[in-house]
Amino acid sequence: MSCRQWLSSAARQCQSALAQQPQQPRAFSTSASVESFRRIFPDNKARPQDGSAPSSSGSSSSRQASFRRTFPNSNRSAAGRGSRSTNPNEALHGLVSDGMERGGPLSPEEQRQVMKQQSTQYHVKDFRANAVTENYVRQMPRRWRTGDVYAPRDMSPYEMSKWRQGKSPDTDVVDVLGFNPLDNYKNFSIISEFITPMGRIKHSVDTGLRPVNQRKMAKAIRRAIGMGLHPSVHKHPEILRFGRHGVPTASVPTPTDLSQTRL
Amino acid sequence: MAARTVSPGGALLRASRMFAIPAPIPPPPDDGVLASNFSSNTATLAYPTHQVITTLSSSRKQGDWGLKRPLPLKSTTKSSNPMLRVKAIDTIEQITDYTSATDHGITLRKFQELGMPLTARRAAGGEQDEKTNTLNLPQKSVFEESLDVTDIHPDKRAEAIETRWKFDGPWLAGMTPGEFNKWLSKEVRPRRPEFREFLKKKLASEMHANAAKVALDKGEEQPAPIDPSSVTEDQLVDYLRQLRHNNQALYDMVGQFLDLAPLKPPTAAQVGIPGSNHRLEFRETKSPYAAGGPPVTHPSAGLSYLRTSMYMDNHPVYGPQKQQPPVVARILRPRRPAQAMIARLGVAGFIVNTPLGDTAFNSRSGQGALYDKIDPDLDGGAKVWVQPQRAAVDAKGRVVLSVTDVSQEAVLVAQELLGNAACLGVKPAEKEMNRVETSSQIRQRFRAADVPTMSSAQDYGVRQ
Repeated sequence: MSCRQWLSSAARQCQSALAQQPQQPRAFSTSASVESFRRIFPDNKARPQDGSAPSSSGSSSSRQASFRRTFPNSNRSAAGRGSRSTNPNEALHGLVSDGMERGGPLSPEEQRQVMKQQSTQYHVKDFRANAVTENYVRQMPRRWRTGDVYAPRDMSPYEMSKWRQGKSPDTDVVDVLGFNPLDNYKNFSIISEFITPMGRIKHSVDTGLRPVNQRKMAKAIRRAIGMGLHPSVHKHPEILRFGRHGVPTASVPTPTDLSQTRL
Repeated sequence: MAARTVSPGGALLRASRMFAIPAPIPPPPDDGVLASNFSSNTATLAYPTHQVITTLSSSRKQGDWGLKRPLPLKSTTKSSNPMLRVKAIDTIEQITDYTSATDHGITLRKFQELGMPLTARRAAGGEQDEKTNTLNLPQKSVFEESLDVTDIHPDKRAEAIETRWKFDGPWLAGMTPGEFNKWLSKEVRPRRPEFREFLKKKLASEMHANAAKVALDKGEEQPAPIDPSSVTEDQLVDYLRQLRHNNQALYDMVGQFLDLAPLKPPTAAQVGIPGSNHRLEFRETKSPYAAGGPPVTHPSAGLSYLRTSMYMDNHPVYGPQKQQPPVVARILRPRRPAQAMIARLGVAGFIVNTPLGDTAFNSRSGQGALYDKIDPDLDGGAKVWVQPQRAAVDAKGRVVLSVTDVSQEAVLVAQELLGNAACLGVKPAEKEMNRVETSSQIRQRFRAADVPTMSSAQDYGVRQ
């Protein structure tokens, strides 16, 4: 019982010491960088000495030498921790001594190492945060516009799911723009907009045109295909080319001459 | 079954306050500008269409909202804000159709907390984005006398075209070709004879003015006003020919006749190269609604009745502040440069424009990095402090709020008021505020004055 109590109090001490570590007035966490330095430069025994990479061995050994110069005690403390890992007080002493040794200014070589390692860490962190952001953004399909009013309910998953599924247009675009589809049979942008990728005329459910305009539009498509102006099994090649490059295609309908319409 | 004849109770009900609920206004139109098929029919609208009604807490406990029948307690007593919108007071199923109206009600409260006056010049948003050269243009309150004229004599309407915001006719630049053709055939064409009469009247007054001027020059007696019916057809045809060769004069006539909203003159690029025989001329207009169209409601939309924001905020400890108190904005959507999407900020329940120029919103590092990511660990989402700059209501009735960067000092002061931070000067004041004074200390303080202001038990002789 008493033994367990001692152990738990020691562990608490150790934890508190670890928690205080990042509060040191240094630009980086001491414990983490020491650990990572060990990962980069393992002990001599662990390092392969067979000379499989002779070009890099020279540079790495020189780097290790400089590392030893800056951390003469690191091997000892690591060995001490390894041998008496059951004693948390020893580990604490090791950490404290590490921290004492790190009090001096960093050599440029060491600074470079730390910077390099930290930047890779940032890259990994950035990547992870980006992935998380992407996932969350995908859950919010609503494109907010300036002047929209939002209430908490608008952020709910139920409400957001409504913005995900597209609906067929409920306004007649031909009526809104006031053009005659039959006058526009040569406009392949318009024709391509009203056929499927396989060249079939879209249903009025998908186009949103009223029956009169749907018949006119279908006639214009049939006319364009029949005259050989438009392919019958795919959209116009120019549209496909623009689509591949991600360029939006704008189709400006020919305005109907007002003198010809009977008003 | 409801009674057919009007009973005394029914008559009372008809005279009740709740029968005075105004008819709902039309909802904001789905603008085809977006050309997207993605929408929600249950999303909060850009402006409320129904009146929000409320009731006292004691009445709410009984379901009494002043309507025909008490409302269910289960769904009306849970909210801390009693706000409802009534879609139908009575339906054929004999129920009252109502929903919660806290979305617009609370939004209005939050907006009024900002203390923003509504300005007339369209700030930004809608279909046109704000440009850096229009950022700091002076704004005018919508309640200025030069802009907010509602009581106009019918004969003076043509002169007041620059100061009005309400017009009978449409704003031509905002019409689609289909709408324009339909309007032309349905509304304008049947009024051609009426327009000829209008022109005759104009011609008669013009002829009279010319004759009067000639008479004045010659020192003769003023001629009698010309009767419009005396204008012959030949004179009218000549006048029409004159007008056809002066596009601005013709537009003035047509605009006065149809009461068209003022139009911004087209730019040189829009007009194109003028022909050799016909040159179009346009007059500039001073109306703030010429570029974006007149508003659907009063340009303040009833959101705020303040006329200016040129006042100083007085802090209890630090005194007058240079800036108005900043507000917290919610980052509703992060910036996604890959998808060409800007960050979306929400202030007081409105989506605002992220400011342009050299601000933290547009920087890639430092605070700007906050706009790039969603951190799910942040409780309630990421928020930033912003300074609301101005507010306007655009032609579609949407509130366009502009915000800008905020100074660090203003944020610190605001944080301190919330109790999240501590500044230097607040300690003595806090100490003074929290000082515990016993009753005897208070008595001594007041007894030290010449005139006793506080009585005690000793004064009354109760205790020696």
